[in-house]
Amino acid sequence: MKLRTMRLLSGQAVRSLKKTPSVTSIIVVMACMIVLSSFMLVAVNLTHIGSQFQADVQIRAFLVPDLPSDAVDRVGGAIQGIPGVASVRFVGKDEALQRLGKQLGQDSFFLADLPRNPLPESFDISLTRADVADEVAAATLELDGIRDVRYAPKLVDRLVGVLRILWGVTGAIAALVLVGASLIVSNTIKLTVFARRKEIEIMKLVGATDSFILFPFVLEGIIIGLLGAGGAAAIVYAGYQGVVKWISSVAPFMSVVTDSSRLGLAVIVMLCFGAVVGLIGSNISTKRYLKV
Amino acid sequence: MVNMYGVYKVYPGNVEALRGVNLNIDKGDFVFIVGPSGSGKSTLLSMIYRGAVPTRGHVLVSGRNIARLRWHEVPMLRRRIGVIFQDYKLLPDRSVYDNVSFALEVIEASPKEIEKKVPQALSMVGLAHKASAMPEELAGGEQQRVAIARAIVNDPLILVADEPTGNLDPDTALDIMDLLCDINLRGTTVVMATHNQVIVDTMRKRVVQLERGMVVRDERWGAYCYEA
Repeated sequence: MKLRTMRLLSGQAVRSLKKTPSVTSIIVVMACMIVLSSFMLVAVNLTHIGSQFQADVQIRAFLVPDLPSDAVDRVGGAIQGIPGVASVRFVGKDEALQRLGKQLGQDSFFLADLPRNPLPESFDISLTRADVADEVAAATLELDGIRDVRYAPKLVDRLVGVLRILWGVTGAIAALVLVGASLIVSNTIKLTVFARRKEIEIMKLVGATDSFILFPFVLEGIIIGLLGAGGAAAIVYAGYQGVVKWISSVAPFMSVVTDSSRLGLAVIVMLCFGAVVGLIGSNISTKRYLKV
Repeated sequence: MVNMYGVYKVYPGNVEALRGVNLNIDKGDFVFIVGPSGSGKSTLLSMIYRGAVPTRGHVLVSGRNIARLRWHEVPMLRRRIGVIFQDYKLLPDRSVYDNVSFALEVIEASPKEIEKKVPQALSMVGLAHKASAMPEELAGGEQQRVAIARAIVNDPLILVADEPTGNLDPDTALDIMDLLCDINLRGTTVVMATHNQVIVDTMRKRVVQLERGMVVRDERWGAYCYEA
């Protein structure tokens, strides 16, 4: 399509936006996008908290007593080779005792009276993801030289489960918004199509191409979607900044996503989603009513 | 130019509009399609510009089978065919000039081409002096002339006219027919459906008569009715 033609058709789309009740559609799309983006932000933040928690999830693998140092190195290397293992750190008997002392705090006095150090040597295993904990623990336990493994499987499972549900709900809302908002946009475009049906009939008769006929309607749909998503992004962004300030004052220990690159990405995703909503909506109405 | 072989058209509800139509129209022909209402005239015409496709049989326009045209090829076919209707189908919010230029704008003609061709088409139909008038300011015959200008502005090979004089008084109808004859004399094939006996009998062109979807008469210099 020629640039001059695109300018002409874009002008038609903008004029049509002023004539049809597009403001209603923009507001409805905006409301849908606010709900979706709010859920998305909650999910993103819980995932952020979860990923921090995942970084803390560790498996402790206890070695059999009196294992020679070359065997300890071999076991350490074998653990490092298990998929899902981020890092492995050897904890000797002395360090284990110090650590226990720290944990016990004031009650650690009795440790000094022990005739010998009863604690076993161990490996602290950090994971790349929390949901691989079961597999890594099982694979570690099978290694020669490992007596036992300890980790918090239920906590890990629960966290992974909550995140899955949350993203599932967000996905379902995204699908509903996609369908609902597309239908709203479609209804608005339908009005334009109806108002211009005579013009469209003549266009078809004199040999206008499908893309020429469809372009202004599709553009109108995309503009509605983008304006709705843009409005929602502005409102949610401003609201989120307020929530972040409030959280930092009442619960400063809680970590929330504040970096502008990730929030900018979220805005871009919302705008793209709005454009897709407009594209689908305009296609529904034009395909069904134009039959071009 | 137009060839129809064993063409059937059945609409939903098992309504048979055409039943085994065979028809050949050569380049430069002027053909009247006559017959009672519901005999299939409009369906036959719409197949020429692919407003309908046959349920059975073949329709060839300029050697191309219209049923086998790809979707993007249909607009290209229509650019070579001008179509006019009884109700003119003008855009009421655009001037005479803009109604005619619209046909060129939508096929992305250059502004230079539009500036050259639109006045030519308006002169051809005798409306150059009313280029800036709005359709509602024109009489019925003048509105049909605008529709004809729009149909011929892109120099079509075929002009399809579906009862173009149906809304006009006898004198104005004859003026329109003179115009269509001029267009035909310049080499454009004209296929026209009509109920106007006077016009058909006066002009003595080829007449194809349809009845219940079938061609019952095809005469080279025919009249509206059978002649003894």
